[in-house]
Amino acid sequence: MTSQASAADPPPGRGAGRVPDPDVEAGRLSAVRRYDILDTPPDGAFDRIAALAGRLFDVPVATVTIVDSDRIWFKATHGLEGVKEIGRDPGLCGSAILRDDALVIPDTLHDPVAADNPLVAGEMGVRFYAAAPITTPEGHRLGTVNILDTKPRSITEDDIATLSDLAAIVMDEMELRLSALNALREEQERRTAESLHAERERARAEAERAAREQAEKDKAAIAAFASTLQRTLLPPALPVVPGLELACHYRTASVHDVGGDFYDVFPVDADRWAFFLGDVCGKGPEAATVTALARHTLRAAAQIDPDPVTVLSTLNTVLLTDVAAGSRFCTALFGLLTPHEGGDFTVTVASGGHPSAYHVRPDEGGSVWVKAVRPKGGMLIGAFPEAHFAESTFRLAHGEGLFLYTDGLTEARTAQGAMLGEDGLTGFLHQRTGSLTATALVDDTVTLLDALPEGVGDDVALLTLSVPDFESVPEAGVAATAHTTATPEHFGQE
Amino acid sequence: MTHTLQLALRRPHSHLTIATLTGDIDMHGAPVLRAQALEAIQQGPPHVVLDLTRVGFCDSSGLSALIGIWHAARAAGGSLSLAGAPDRLIRMLALTGVDSLLTVHATADDAVTAMTGS
Repeated sequence: MTSQASAADPPPGRGAGRVPDPDVEAGRLSAVRRYDILDTPPDGAFDRIAALAGRLFDVPVATVTIVDSDRIWFKATHGLEGVKEIGRDPGLCGSAILRDDALVIPDTLHDPVAADNPLVAGEMGVRFYAAAPITTPEGHRLGTVNILDTKPRSITEDDIATLSDLAAIVMDEMELRLSALNALREEQERRTAESLHAERERARAEAERAAREQAEKDKAAIAAFASTLQRTLLPPALPVVPGLELACHYRTASVHDVGGDFYDVFPVDADRWAFFLGDVCGKGPEAATVTALARHTLRAAAQIDPDPVTVLSTLNTVLLTDVAAGSRFCTALFGLLTPHEGGDFTVTVASGGHPSAYHVRPDEGGSVWVKAVRPKGGMLIGAFPEAHFAESTFRLAHGEGLFLYTDGLTEARTAQGAMLGEDGLTGFLHQRTGSLTATALVDDTVTLLDALPEGVGDDVALLTLSVPDFESVPEAGVAATAHTTATPEHFGQE
Repeated sequence: MTHTLQLALRRPHSHLTIATLTGDIDMHGAPVLRAQALEAIQQGPPHVVLDLTRVGFCDSSGLSALIGIWHAARAAGGSLSLAGAPDRLIRMLALTGVDSLLTVHATADDAVTAMTGS
């Protein structure tokens, strides 16, 4: 078959001299840009297609070209070394991409447009040219697969079909390349987005960490403030009372709550001493103001008249008239200590709605005699104008003790889940075998609290007084000790 | 978890409100009780019976609320009494001497009888 194909027999100038339609050319150029292949390095696949074309058609030169706006760029060449691109002169490639089918010019010298092309008229002296357009699925012609010879020749329809197939293979290759490129871009975008996301996450975590740190600092500052406030509400240390041993203990249930428990021991006149222990209903700053008011009122009232019922009545009036106190109440025990020649003390205790104190002494059986000091009828302080208070008087002899506490102790849960209760507390005191010194009573109770599985749910304040045994009294005079563990235990531990 | 305190009000007599409480009177329930009881005292008859039969728990904040309500009822020329109070509250009322002012009855009917004399 040597007959010339119809496609290879255009009327002179057909297509070759046409000016590209501006719209078609704009779409084509944008497709060229989209495939992003111009000026890319040599690629084995395209080089092999060019080489295959050269061998298949037995021509000296075969190329794969992409037509840019102003140039024809060689993606792959076979038999044409050192040429990267040529001008977009009409006649050959420049004309081939303007048509849908293959362009075949059997003898360039017989084609008036091709004859003027530099490749024809120049040093190369191309005489034969055939090209199939590389066409995208949308119909944009990106470039051509070309075969060139320096001798005129004719090719068959089959040859033209083969050339078109090679152009289609180039197109497939470019599609693959584009989808790989897109996948790569997506991957990069994904990575960028991921790193952006990771960056945001880091920033968020950092902000969270900073906020948490600040919160912890605030928490610590509040706890420190509460601790300081608490210390001002408690006596810094118990005084030394001649002939009496004193001990106390205070613990808060929570580091965040300023508790409402308070106690103090102070001199009333040359001989007599007063003590009190109380509990303001509620917690926090409001309770703390009542706590402070109660402490100062009790001390001041005792200077005027130390009678315990009178002192509690004064506190009741003050709390009811104090604006800041509002509807805050407290319970308290207030006691007056009067020493005797032999070393015993007369103790008068008034109660304002507070749990009983316990008077303890060794009994004959080796355990402890425990008696509740429960003045009948003492009411909550600061709740009712008509509140009345009651007192009872007893003698605290050598070897005896007095135990005062706030209800955080009796409301603490035992291992069985029940509250310790007053019965539990009196049972505990009754079964003690150690000495009944103020220090031992507090130490043992602290041990009891520490052994509770859930700890205490409320603040606990303990105040104990004891008159030393005869044998432990120094001959020269009376014992004078004070044991203070008033530091709020929980502070600084959390 | 404590569930929210609920108050159901009824008025068996023109001068008497019975509030039946369900829930716990703790630091969450106490403000609810105080607000609703004070409103009832302001709007209706100042004599109030709180039926605590269905109250499981009442702590010192509950006691504070009861004292506040007692004051409000008395200021309005009325009274406050309790019915069916839980044991712990009864002990707390006795310990604080509040039971000398705030009467505690076994049932709401007992409270009504005591107040109306019928």
